[in-house]
Amino acid sequence: MTLTRRALLRGTAAATVGLAGLGAAGCSGLAPGRSATGSLDYWNLFGGGDGIRMTQMLDGFRAANPGIALSAVTLSWGNPYYTKLALATLGDKPPDVAVAHLTRMKTLVSSDLLEELRPADLARHGITADKFTARAWQAGLVDGRAYAIPIDTHPFVMFYNTDICGKAGLLDSSGALTPLDTPEKFTDAMRRAKEASGGYGGVVSINNDTSTPWRIFQSLYSQLGGETLADEGRQVVIDDAKATQVLTFLQSLTSGGLFPAGIDYQGAVATFANGQAGFYFEGEWEISTFQTAKMPFSMTLFPNLYGGSKYAVQADSHTLVIPRQPDQNQDQIDRSLLLIRSMLDQSKTWAEGGHVPTWLPFRDSPEYQAMTPQSNYAAAADGAVYDPDGWYSGSGSNFEIVTGSAIATVLAGQQSPADALAQMRRQLRNLSTTASPI
Amino acid sequence: MTDLAQRAEFRVKLFNRICFGVLIAFALLWLVPLAWALDTALKPNAETTRTTWAIADPTLDAFGRVLRDTDILTWLGSSLFIATLSAAGTVLVASLAAYALSRMRFRYRNVVFWIVLAGIMIPGQVLIVPWFREFDALGLLNTYWAVSLPQIPTAIAVFIFKQFFDGLPRELEEVARVDGAGYLRIYRRIIMPLARPAVAAVAIFTFVTSWNDLLWPLLVLSNPDNMTVPVGLATVQGSFGIRYADTMAGAILGAIPLVAVFLMFQRHIVEGIAGSGLKG
Amino acid sequence: MTTETVVRPRPATEDGPAPERRRGSGLPALGFLAPFLVLYLAFIIGPTLYGLVMSFFDTSLVKPGLSGFAGFGNYTEALQSSDFWSSLWHTVWFTILTTPPLILLAFVFALLADRARQGRWFFRLAFFAPFILPSAVVALIWIFIYTPGLGLIETGLVKIGITSPNWLGDPNWAMPSLAFTTIWWTLGFNFVLYLAGLQEIPRDLYEASAMDGASPWQQIRKITIPMLGRTTTLVAVLQVIASLKVFDQMYIMTQGGPNFATRSILEYVYDEAFTNFRVGYAAAVSMLFFLVVLMVSAVWFALVRRQEKEV
Repeated sequence: MTLTRRALLRGTAAATVGLAGLGAAGCSGLAPGRSATGSLDYWNLFGGGDGIRMTQMLDGFRAANPGIALSAVTLSWGNPYYTKLALATLGDKPPDVAVAHLTRMKTLVSSDLLEELRPADLARHGITADKFTARAWQAGLVDGRAYAIPIDTHPFVMFYNTDICGKAGLLDSSGALTPLDTPEKFTDAMRRAKEASGGYGGVVSINNDTSTPWRIFQSLYSQLGGETLADEGRQVVIDDAKATQVLTFLQSLTSGGLFPAGIDYQGAVATFANGQAGFYFEGEWEISTFQTAKMPFSMTLFPNLYGGSKYAVQADSHTLVIPRQPDQNQDQIDRSLLLIRSMLDQSKTWAEGGHVPTWLPFRDSPEYQAMTPQSNYAAAADGAVYDPDGWYSGSGSNFEIVTGSAIATVLAGQQSPADALAQMRRQLRNLSTTASPI
Repeated sequence: MTDLAQRAEFRVKLFNRICFGVLIAFALLWLVPLAWALDTALKPNAETTRTTWAIADPTLDAFGRVLRDTDILTWLGSSLFIATLSAAGTVLVASLAAYALSRMRFRYRNVVFWIVLAGIMIPGQVLIVPWFREFDALGLLNTYWAVSLPQIPTAIAVFIFKQFFDGLPRELEEVARVDGAGYLRIYRRIIMPLARPAVAAVAIFTFVTSWNDLLWPLLVLSNPDNMTVPVGLATVQGSFGIRYADTMAGAILGAIPLVAVFLMFQRHIVEGIAGSGLKG
Repeated sequence: MTTETVVRPRPATEDGPAPERRRGSGLPALGFLAPFLVLYLAFIIGPTLYGLVMSFFDTSLVKPGLSGFAGFGNYTEALQSSDFWSSLWHTVWFTILTTPPLILLAFVFALLADRARQGRWFFRLAFFAPFILPSAVVALIWIFIYTPGLGLIETGLVKIGITSPNWLGDPNWAMPSLAFTTIWWTLGFNFVLYLAGLQEIPRDLYEASAMDGASPWQQIRKITIPMLGRTTTLVAVLQVIASLKVFDQMYIMTQGGPNFATRSILEYVYDEAFTNFRVGYAAAVSMLFFLVVLMVSAVWFALVRRQEKEV
C-alpha cells in the first residue's frame, strides 16, 4: 500500500516536472518574462459601484478591440494594492496598465517604477495636455514629465436630502441649496435640518475610518490656507492656530448633537439613506448607493466656509500608469495607450459614478452639463487640494492614517483639539525624520 | 455483582455517555464553519444576505463563476507544481544528507551536524527580507523556483531521516558492502526502501506546508498568472466584493485539494505528528 | 512494518572484519551532503548573515546595493519606536489569547475522545480538518462569518437578544476574533498530539487506581496530567513559537487594523520592508524578532533537558 503511495508521489513529481519542462516555454512560472503579445494586463482597485462601472468600460474596450486579450484584476484598496504593484514591478512582471492615485503615483515615480509617457506616444493616441483639467494634469507632472493620465478628480462633496432641506427652508426657489458660506450659516443649517429630520443635521464617517476625517479636516484647513508637510515630507509645517480653529469647529458639530459622534462608514451611509440626517459629507462616489436607495437627494460642492474667493476642497485623482518593464517595446506601449484612450473616451460611464471627469472633451460637453447632480460640483476639480508630497503620503497611506486617526478622536469627542494636534505632530515627526527610502 | 459495584459501574457508564455527548456537540460545532461555507456557496448571491441554513434556490453557479472569472485553476496548478517540487526535493536532499550523517565517518561530521541543527532555530519568516533581495539579484522573482528553493533545505527533515536511519540495523549494509556495493547503491537499494514511513511523513508534511505557505509566496509571486492558491485567494478577495456565494465557492475550491490529500493520507499525517511529538 | 534481516555468513577476508577501521569516507560524504548543504548555505545560512549585515544599513527596496551605513541606528529606532513595541505587544497578546485555550481545549477534547470507544475517526476529522486548510481559506470563511449585518454569529446573537460588536472592525474585538478563528483552525494539531500521548499511558495504571477507589477526576489529576508532561511542554512551546510567527490571519482579515490594533510583529516587518521600502530597518526588526524566538526556544531546550533528567 505504502509502496504504491510513494510511487504515486514520486510519479506525480516526475510527471509534473516533465510536463512543466515541456510547457516551460509557455509556462509563466518558471522564468520571469511577459505575457504573449496581443494581450494586456490591467490592475485596478475598484470594488463596489466603481468596480461595476469599470467592468462596463473594460467590456467597451473589448468590444472595440476584439484582437486584444484584456485581463483585468481587482486588488484590495489601499496599501496592499500599492505594495503588490511595487513588488510586481520589482519582480519584472507588472501589469501593462495600472490604476494609481495621483498622490501615490509620485512615490512610484521616485522609486523608478513607472514608465515615462512620452509626448510623441501620447500624441499618437490623441492624448495631449490641453485636453485635461489643468490642475489635475499639472499635479501629475514630475520634473515636467508625464507619468500618469488622470481619468477623474474625486473631491469631497456635500450630499443633502432635498425633502428635509425643503422642510427646513434651506432650498431656494429653484430647489437648489442656498449657499452655506460661513460657519454660522453652516451650523444654523445643520440645526434646522436636525429639527426637520428628527434625527441629525448631518453625518460624517468617524469610526474605523481615517480617510474621511482627514478629508473633511483638510478641506476646511486648506480653505484657511493651511499646509501640513513641506520639502517632500521632510518637514511638518502644521499651522496650530488654523488647525485648532478647524478642529474646534468640527468638534462643536458632534458635541452639539448636530452630527452623530460614534458612527462608522457604513453607518453614516445608512443614516443618510434612511433619511435620519439632512446632510452627508463624503467623496462623490457614494452617489450610486443613494440612487439605488431611491431617496430624494442632491449633491453640491463642499461648503466654502473659510476660503472666500479661493475655494479649496480635498480631492485626489485616479490616474492610469504604465509600470516599468524589462524590454518594453513600442507595440506594448501602444496597446496600453489604446486602453487608456478608451477609458478616457468612456468618461461618461465613469462620471455616472459621481467622479468629475478630467477629460475636457467630455467635461465641456452638454452631455456632462446635463448630468445632475454630478455637474453641480464640477468646480471642485479646479479647487482640488491634493495630499502633500512625501514618500509616506497619499490616499490610504500612513500619512492619512496618522492624521485621520487623530482627527477622528476630536470628532468623536475623545480628545481635545490641542491633544490631537500634539499626537498628530508627534507621529508625523516620526515619519518626516525617517530617511526616505526612495 | 454487588449493589455498590453496580452503582459504580452505572456512574462510570453515565460519565462516559456524558463525555461522549459533550464531545459530539463540540465536534459538530467545529464542523459548522465549513458547513456554513458550503451552504453559502450553494446559494445564489442574492440569497446570501439572508442568514439562514435553508437554501431556497440551490445552485452550483457560484462555483462556475469562480472557475470562469478567476484564475483559480491556474493557481491550483501552480500550487501543485510547487508543493510537489518541494516535497520531492526535500525528501531527496534531506535523506541523502541524513544518510551521510548517520552512516559515514568523516572529519567534520560534528561541525556539519551542529550547523544543520542551528537551522532548526531559524524561522523562515526572519529571512523574507534577505530572500527578496537575493532572488531579485538572481532574477528569479515571480518564479516557482523562488518559492520552492528555500523550502527544500529543511533541517528538520534531515533530523527525521537521520533518526530513522540510526534506528535501522547495520547488518544489511555491511553484507552489501562486503559484496562490493558503494554508498549510493546501498542508499538506493537498501536504505530508502526501508525508509518508507519517514519518506511518507516528510513528503506529506512538506507538501502540505508548502501548499499552505502564504507570507513568502505572497511577496515573490505578484502576478495572478503564477500565484498559488493561498496567495491568489488573499490577493483578489477585493474583486469578490459582496458576492458572498462566490467568495465561499472560491474558498471551498481552494480547500478541496488539501482535503483530498488529508482523506487519502490521514493515517500517515496523524502518525507523523504523533511520532514526532513523542520523540520530542 | 517489520524488516526482515537476512543474515548470510560473512566470508573471511585478509582485511579483517571490522568496517569501522576503514578510512574516513570524506569524499562520498561530501557527495551525499552537497545537495543539502549547497541549498542550505545558499538559502538559509547565507540570507541570515545577509539580513544581519543589511540591518546595519539604510537599505531600500527600490535602490540597488546596501545604501548608507546606519550602524546601530535601525536597532535604536526599532527599540524606541512605539510601532515596534505595540506590534510586539499585539503578538504577545495574541499568544496569550490563543495558547491556553489551544492547550486546555485540546487536552479536554483528547481526554473525551480517548474514552470514546467508537467514532474516533469522526472526532479526528472534525477537529483536524480545519488544520490542513490554507490560511486564506480559513480567513475568507471567517471574514464572512464575522461580517456585520449578516454574519452567522451576529445573527445567532441577535436571536437571543444580544447586540454583537463589529467583530473585525472594533479595536477591542478584532484581536479576540482573530484568536477565536485561530483556535478553530489549529486546535486539531494539539488534539492529535494529546490523543497520541494519552494512548501511550498504560491502562493498568488507571485500573490499579480505580481499585484503590480513585474517582475519574482524581485519575486525571494524579495520572494523566503528570504523564502528559512532556507532551504538554511540546504543545505549549510549539504553540507559543507559532503564535509569535502569526501573519496570515492579520494580513487577510484585518490588514493589521483597525488602526493597527492587530498588527503583529511580522506584519510590521512586512509593512516596513515592502510598503515603506525600508528594507534595512525591517531587517533589524527581523533580527530582534529572531532573538525573541531564540529565547523562547532556549527556554524549551532547558525545560526538555530538565524533564529528561527527571525521567
